Amino acid sequence: MSKTKAQQPAVIHKVIMVGSGGVGKSALTLQFMYDEFVEDYEPTKADSYRKKVVLDGEEVQIDILDTAGQEDYAAIRDNYFRSGEGFLCVFSIREQESFQATQDFREQILRVKNDENIPFLLVGNMVDLADQRQVSVEEATRRAQEWKVNYVETSAKTRANVDKVFYDLLRLIGKYKLTPAGRKALSQNAANLPSETTGCSCVLM
Amino acid sequence: MADGLGRILSKPVFEPEQFIAKLSGDGEDALLDMKAKIHMLNDETAQALKKNVYKNYSQFIETAREISILEGEMYQLSHMLSDQKTEMTKMMELSLVSDRAMVQGSKGEDEDKTSPEEETRRNLAFLLEKVEGCSSVVDAPGRQLVHDGDLVELDTETHSQIHRVHAFLLNDSLMIATWIPQRRGPMRYRFQGLYELDGLAVVNVRDTGPVKNGFKILMFPESHMYQTDTAKAKRQWLDALEDTKKKKAVKDKQKKEAATRLAEQQLMAALASPGESDLSKSNSWSTYVPCTLLPAYFLSADWLQELPEDLDMYIAQRNFEGAVDLVEKVYDHLTVCPKGPALKEFRARIEHRVKQLTDGLMSELQVSPERSLRGGPRAARRAVTQLIRLGKSAQACELFLRNRSAIIKYNIRQLKFEGATTLYIRCLCMVFFSSLSDTAKEFIKAFPGHFGCYSAFVIWAKQELQTFFSIFRRQVFESKASLTTIADCVVLARNQCQELGSIGLDVKFCLTILLENSIQNMIEETRDQLIDGVKYRANDDLWRPMNHLSQTDCDKYVAEVAALGFDIKPYVYDKCFIAITMNSVQFAKSIVNYAEDLLKLFNSELEDTIAEVLAAVYKAQVLHIETSLKSEQFKKEQSLILKNSQFLLEVVMAKIESLYSSMNVPFPVKLQQVNAHFRKLKALINK
Repeated sequence: MSKTKAQQPAVIHKVIMVGSGGVGKSALTLQFMYDEFVEDYEPTKADSYRKKVVLDGEEVQIDILDTAGQEDYAAIRDNYFRSGEGFLCVFSIREQESFQATQDFREQILRVKNDENIPFLLVGNMVDLADQRQVSVEEATRRAQEWKVNYVETSAKTRANVDKVFYDLLRLIGKYKLTPAGRKALSQNAANLPSETTGCSCVLM
Repeated sequence: MADGLGRILSKPVFEPEQFIAKLSGDGEDALLDMKAKIHMLNDETAQALKKNVYKNYSQFIETAREISILEGEMYQLSHMLSDQKTEMTKMMELSLVSDRAMVQGSKGEDEDKTSPEEETRRNLAFLLEKVEGCSSVVDAPGRQLVHDGDLVELDTETHSQIHRVHAFLLNDSLMIATWIPQRRGPMRYRFQGLYELDGLAVVNVRDTGPVKNGFKILMFPESHMYQTDTAKAKRQWLDALEDTKKKKAVKDKQKKEAATRLAEQQLMAALASPGESDLSKSNSWSTYVPCTLLPAYFLSADWLQELPEDLDMYIAQRNFEGAVDLVEKVYDHLTVCPKGPALKEFRARIEHRVKQLTDGLMSELQVSPERSLRGGPRAARRAVTQLIRLGKSAQACELFLRNRSAIIKYNIRQLKFEGATTLYIRCLCMVFFSSLSDTAKEFIKAFPGHFGCYSAFVIWAKQELQTFFSIFRRQVFESKASLTTIADCVVLARNQCQELGSIGLDVKFCLTILLENSIQNMIEETRDQLIDGVKYRANDDLWRPMNHLSQTDCDKYVAEVAALGFDIKPYVYDKCFIAITMNSVQFAKSIVNYAEDLLKLFNSELEDTIAEVLAAVYKAQVLHIETSLKSEQFKKEQSLILKNSQFLLEVVMAKIESLYSSMNVPFPVKLQQVNAHFRKLKALINK
């Protein structure tokens, strides 16, 4: 069988979208991937996307795993989380419940990745519907500080901050991969992946 | 002239109208003459016809017989043909299963859903044929194939193609097998890994880059990416995975136990063969160590490689001996092989064949209505021997005996009941007991040393005996036959039964138990009849000596009675008178008859009963004599009555005593007491 030579950049950053069902994980992903907003809601099972992006002058690949908010089986969710290098934990600012759920997601990710410094952003989506806001900025920021992560508010509809959250996370991942702890954590979780020696070529912010 | 007429009439161009016209012209005499001639001709023809019929009669019979034989053979032939046809369809299924599975893979899930579960189950057996090292997968009970298909494995990082795989989605797990290039035979894949669906994370890879139709399987610490040929196939895979996962989750609780057991098993296998991990270096799927070729050296012999096919062929040809030889050979060979998963797998393949072989042999012994039973026990011996060699002696024994039961039943049904009970029973006993002894002999030959089976035979014999007895009872005891007939029949059965003892099979006690109640009832019934008879005759008894009018007639009668065993000569007086009444002679006759029958039935269990009933009948008669002696009406006849009682109590009793002694049975006390009655009666007179 002939191998198709896929000339791909060596650096791949694996991003995982987590959050309750219907908060706009897929909408954010699709806006980032294709610059389009999908109005109709269809629950995701688990989709993965890959895109070449230029991050601070360096071409890298972003691999996005858009998970199901409704996934019922913890064991299966663990397996998704294990494959990630950075997490976008999304909630809807007009839904307090989805904000509360981020606590569980955070805990689960930390348990699976076993590192507090894992690249992670708390994302409050749907700011275009600010009039229906249930979660205040202060509330969300307080939680983010508690976790020592950044909080960003986005709108998948208006594309506000969409690129920012992905690029911010990519930078975090790039940085994280350079730290000994990050290298250890990632190689532990992805024993079969080729070693990320090229990671050092990342430009620091 | 008649000949001439015959010739004219039998002419092919004979024209009746012309002939009649000519005749009618000759007048009345000629017509009458012609009429006589035609009569004569008619008779002659009839006679000739009859003669011809007789001449050909034997040929007719022979032809008819040939035809019936031919008919039977045709039946058998058609049966054999249909047998062969089923055999062929079985073979077709055998060779088509793999193809069908491939079709299923490409046609997808829709077809899969409609196909019955058992078919998918059968497919698991074919996995053994196609995938090397998957015996542990197939072993798990209740596992079914849900979906399968060819996939290309991609590198998760670079998305470059690694190799071709064939994935099998089972109802509880996903099995991946890698394709082995340059491999002849049906084994085209090697087991790579088995993933339980519980924690299996499936990711739909969107067609964003150059790679289309991909999906990922995440199973910590591994992740794999696969590519299908078409978008539709990918959709089917994702749906099937989703669906199966859901279904599995529904019955997760029960499954969980089984799953952990399986994981343990595989872990054990991995631990048992630590050397294998080297060979799987290219393979990062370390949780499940794939089977290696370590014992391959032992399994690589040509004859071993071809063995499964050879076995299939032998089974198809019904060459059971050859197949069993082969199985024994391979088992011998396998015992020296080192233990390992490859051996286990090979063993599983062989065992699959052995099961088929066993089924074939069992169906050989199966009793089917169309199959001829004429083959007799020897025909079954072949199949039985092979089954024993395969270690299935219990099944062989059961089937063999069932077969024999059918033969016995058939033989008994062949017997025609033709009026005479004794005759029929004679045939019945002959057929039954000779079949029983045939079976016993055959059994000893067929199952030498399998003592465990012998008890099964004994139980079988007892059951057959019961069946036999139910027929016997219906014919003998329930047919209102006389005691004499019954006694004869019982004696016949007992004698036949006795003969079985010569081959070491004693069922006599069973027969005795079975017969006991019926005989007892019959004896008592007859006793009641006799007592009733005594009472009835007593009412009419006028105590008159017999008058035969002439000496010749008298002599004739004396001779007649003497033939029955009584000498009544001393009682003859006045040439033609006999001092014994008709009643006494009749009683003597019936009591001796009864005694004879009873003694035929004699055995130690019945000894008391026999003595009792004889005494009871006797007592009834004695009572009659006693009342007659006391009665005023017969005052004048007292000496005659005394003579009669002396005849009955001494002469007739002596006869019964001699019957007893001829059987070497001591004369019972009860009858001796009856005998003593005579003196009592005498005393009664003298008072």
